[in-house]
Amino acid sequence: MELIILLTLLALGYGFGRYAEKSHYKSIIQREAELNSIPAIASRIPPHGNPYYDSHLVAGSVVVSVDYFKRTVANLRNLIGGRVTSYETLVDRARREAILRMKEQARNLNAELVFNIKLETASIHKGRKDSIGSVEVLAYGTALVPNN
Amino acid sequence: MQYSNPQLPEGINTSQEHPLKDFLILSAGVIGGLFAILTILILLTGYFSEKIPFEWESNFPVDKIIPFEQNADMPDYLRQVSSRVISQMDLPESMQIRVHYVNDDLVNAFATLGGHVFLFRGLLEKLQSEDELAMVIAHEAAHIKHRHPIMGASHGVVASIFMSIIGGSAGDSLTGMLLDTSGTAAVLRFSRDFEYESDEDATQVLLSLYGHAEGANRLFKLFSEELKGDVPFEFLSTHPITDNRIEQVREMTQSVSSSRTATLTPLPNDFITWLDSQREKHQQEKDSAKKSAQTE
Repeated sequence: MELIILLTLLALGYGFGRYAEKSHYKSIIQREAELNSIPAIASRIPPHGNPYYDSHLVAGSVVVSVDYFKRTVANLRNLIGGRVTSYETLVDRARREAILRMKEQARNLNAELVFNIKLETASIHKGRKDSIGSVEVLAYGTALVPNN
Repeated sequence: MQYSNPQLPEGINTSQEHPLKDFLILSAGVIGGLFAILTILILLTGYFSEKIPFEWESNFPVDKIIPFEQNADMPDYLRQVSSRVISQMDLPESMQIRVHYVNDDLVNAFATLGGHVFLFRGLLEKLQSEDELAMVIAHEAAHIKHRHPIMGASHGVVASIFMSIIGGSAGDSLTGMLLDTSGTAAVLRFSRDFEYESDEDATQVLLSLYGHAEGANRLFKLFSEELKGDVPFEFLSTHPITDNRIEQVREMTQSVSSSRTATLTPLPNDFITWLDSQREKHQQEKDSAKKSAQTE
């Protein structure tokens, strides 16, 4: 009986997870195209050019959760070893989403670019063995707003 | 220096492999791998545990598990049939088999460590011929002859140690369940092999005592009625499907000439009446126990 419940959870996790992932990726790709005009630069040194800039801290953070199917596949991987591909898409989405949210903030400030961007990942609620975990990604940087 | 964020292609940081395919390959690999490793481990264990001297088994505290009165109630008929059966079995010198009778409704009989065979009244009442009784006794005695109790116990211990080592790293209840199932299936496969081996020996004893193995067929028919429809797949059960056991008997008896008509030797009447009196006695004991529990 417990097996049936777990298999149902697995199927639900797989179904909803796939759907959420697909629609999230579509949204990410679309917004990346929109915000392409504001480059996000990892360099610590601001680019040369117009010296009249105001600078602001901008940050974007996102929390993405693992679904049951992904966790099960990851647990099997933990026994054997190798790429945990189920988590890779998760972290990829979270990272890109965080950068996009940071760029949103920058756009609201009419910034031209964001530099010195850094990414930090935190795992929320690692908890007991059976609990669902989630991943938080924070992206922050300095936005340069032209003041002339 | 010009900075820009061009549209990068997908699939560099992620894998394009379909997750379901990944999952199926992983689970098949884990289950299959575990099954294979555990099977080899069990084979090795069996090889070594068979070498444990039989005399060491007699330290096993059987009377702590089944409270039996030291053969006080066992009728001569049972003793007779038991010794006739056991004498046909070619036991090694030091092996001594003790047959016990237990006055309980349980429809079962089993052999355990130390050479003890237990017959329960519930099963004895369902038997309709001496052939069937001989088959039951021979089957259990064959377990002891082939050292199945000690081997089975060792298999269980080794398998559970191995499973707890592996299972500790499984962080999830579904993964744990898959591993459990696979481990159990590996152990039970050997349990079924033991049953086939005992059936073979017991059928041989029937052939030498009675010239035919009809008792075995009758006994298995009784089992399939009692079980009211076996489980469809046997991979998680300790005994083989009854049909498979009947099939093995049929293969063995094909070579025996069928010219002799298979007549079953009936059970003597005083044995049957004795069983009835035992049932009444058991019922009385249960009732008086209930009454004294109520008055307390």
